[in-house]
Amino acid sequence: MKTNSISTAVASALLLSAAPFTFAQENSSLDIGRLAIAGYGDVSYIAQDNLKDDQGNAVQNNVQARFIPIFLFQMSEKIHIESEIEFSTGQDGETETELEYINMHYYLNDNTIITAGKFLLPFGQFSANIHPSWINKAASTPGIYGGHGGNGSLNGVTTVMNDTGINVSNTWNLGGAGRLFTDFYVVSGPRQEAGAHGGGVEFEAKKGDNNDSFAYGGRVAYAFLPEWEIGVSYYTGPYSNDGDLNYSAYNVDFNWNGTFASVRGEIFGSTAETEGEIEVNGEIDEFVKDFNKNGWYIQGAWQARQLGKAWLNPVELVLRYSDTSSDFDGSVIEEFDEDAGRMGSRVYYGVNYWLEPSAVLKFGAETTSLDNGVNSDDRLFLQLAFGF
Amino acid sequence: MKLTQVFLPAVVLVLSTFTTQAQHVSDASLVAKGAKVYSENCGRCHNARPAEEYSKKEWSVVIPHMRAKAHLTGKEALAVEAFLDSTLTSDVRSEVKGGSLENKVQRSGADLVAQFGCQGCHKINGEGGALGPELSGIVARKGQEFVLKKLTNPKFNNAASAMPKFPMTAADKQAIIDYLSQ
Repeated sequence: MKTNSISTAVASALLLSAAPFTFAQENSSLDIGRLAIAGYGDVSYIAQDNLKDDQGNAVQNNVQARFIPIFLFQMSEKIHIESEIEFSTGQDGETETELEYINMHYYLNDNTIITAGKFLLPFGQFSANIHPSWINKAASTPGIYGGHGGNGSLNGVTTVMNDTGINVSNTWNLGGAGRLFTDFYVVSGPRQEAGAHGGGVEFEAKKGDNNDSFAYGGRVAYAFLPEWEIGVSYYTGPYSNDGDLNYSAYNVDFNWNGTFASVRGEIFGSTAETEGEIEVNGEIDEFVKDFNKNGWYIQGAWQARQLGKAWLNPVELVLRYSDTSSDFDGSVIEEFDEDAGRMGSRVYYGVNYWLEPSAVLKFGAETTSLDNGVNSDDRLFLQLAFGF
Repeated sequence: MKLTQVFLPAVVLVLSTFTTQAQHVSDASLVAKGAKVYSENCGRCHNARPAEEYSKKEWSVVIPHMRAKAHLTGKEALAVEAFLDSTLTSDVRSEVKGGSLENKVQRSGADLVAQFGCQGCHKINGEGGALGPELSGIVARKGQEFVLKKLTNPKFNNAASAMPKFPMTAADKQAIIDYLSQ
């Protein structure tokens, strides 16, 4: 099934490459380019003096620099290629590299874009659009997001998701200010983490596929420009090596932008079918249960230029609350406890000083309350983030 | 399955062949629309970025990327490109070369405000965008000197200002100030 589907995709790409498209320079009266480099970067200092690892050892304060260029190539009016690569300093002083995405946009018509390759999944808004450090107004990621640079003592209940596949994006104009945005995609899908039991779902896109099955998903959003956007996302796909266990997730996102303030947030929920063994009356029973991970965050920002004082024009205040919960905390089945002591709530307070529209100096403080209170990490941030 | 393999690409190819080929054009009517699209969409995720951060050629490559990110239509993307192009000179910092604009016929303040798409981001007499402050009465509130400084160097009072540095002469600036003083 998968081989045939991939053959179809390849055949489509070959046919499309032969389509009679117009090259960028023809009939154009503007200066048209081929290549541009955009992207972002940041330098961060994180003081986390009371953060402990699982063994109770102190964790070093964190100093990190990242450079994340986006290479954009305009092949024609209809075909555009983009790739983002993250370079960062690693634990042992080496330079870490990560291919965030590499894909081709095919602009089918005025409303439709077909994207093929590795891309950021349109699942919520944070993953696809808001996570770059100069756009994310806080110096840390929302508490529901783990991975991608770590998130202190919280595990997170999802991650910034990218994968390899095809996405079809549409924009529907509903009158003066109304827009309907839709994205539907098929991607390689999640995989099973190495380990003795099911339930560990890994999202990192890799070469190869563990179960010869796809994941499907999409996002439907309504925007009332320029202030409101509300979206609903869904994602589902088998993740186990035998393809019998499924992972599904939903996300409700909203974004409000006023002249001097903005509020954004997401509600996330996921279910992983999880198999294991349990001893009942001296006998071993195999089971498959649904294990849930849930979380939400809300983030507000206010620009002090509303006060009309010139010296306050570059200043912005940020406040964010995050909350997470997981069935993988040992409460359902004792053996499934990888999230034990790693769920809870978190508050971020920040002051930003904008040096340019796309360069910001962030001062932040974060306090975390874990559900079982074993560890806590009150972190302080100093970050210079820039988009270019 | 083989039928599907042939049919799907064929449909895509046929649709593709009959779609309108977009063009990058300098059309005055696009500039105002582009300013409005720029004002309403860039700030959905991040601070709107002033035009001089990229060259005209770079914008022509960056805009298709942002079209996908922001779910713009092709026409909207081209309008934004036309707007940004209208605010840039060939100089990388969008400086006006000495005398390059001096020989043009002097335009009225109303024409200049329309040409540069000011109402994409600012309200004038109740009409326009909300990215920047309302311009009705701005001269009375802030004074001529402030408006002149803002037109000359939009970042003079706010480093994060998204306002482009428009290519205009001293006479253009005075015409806009006179228009906004009415």
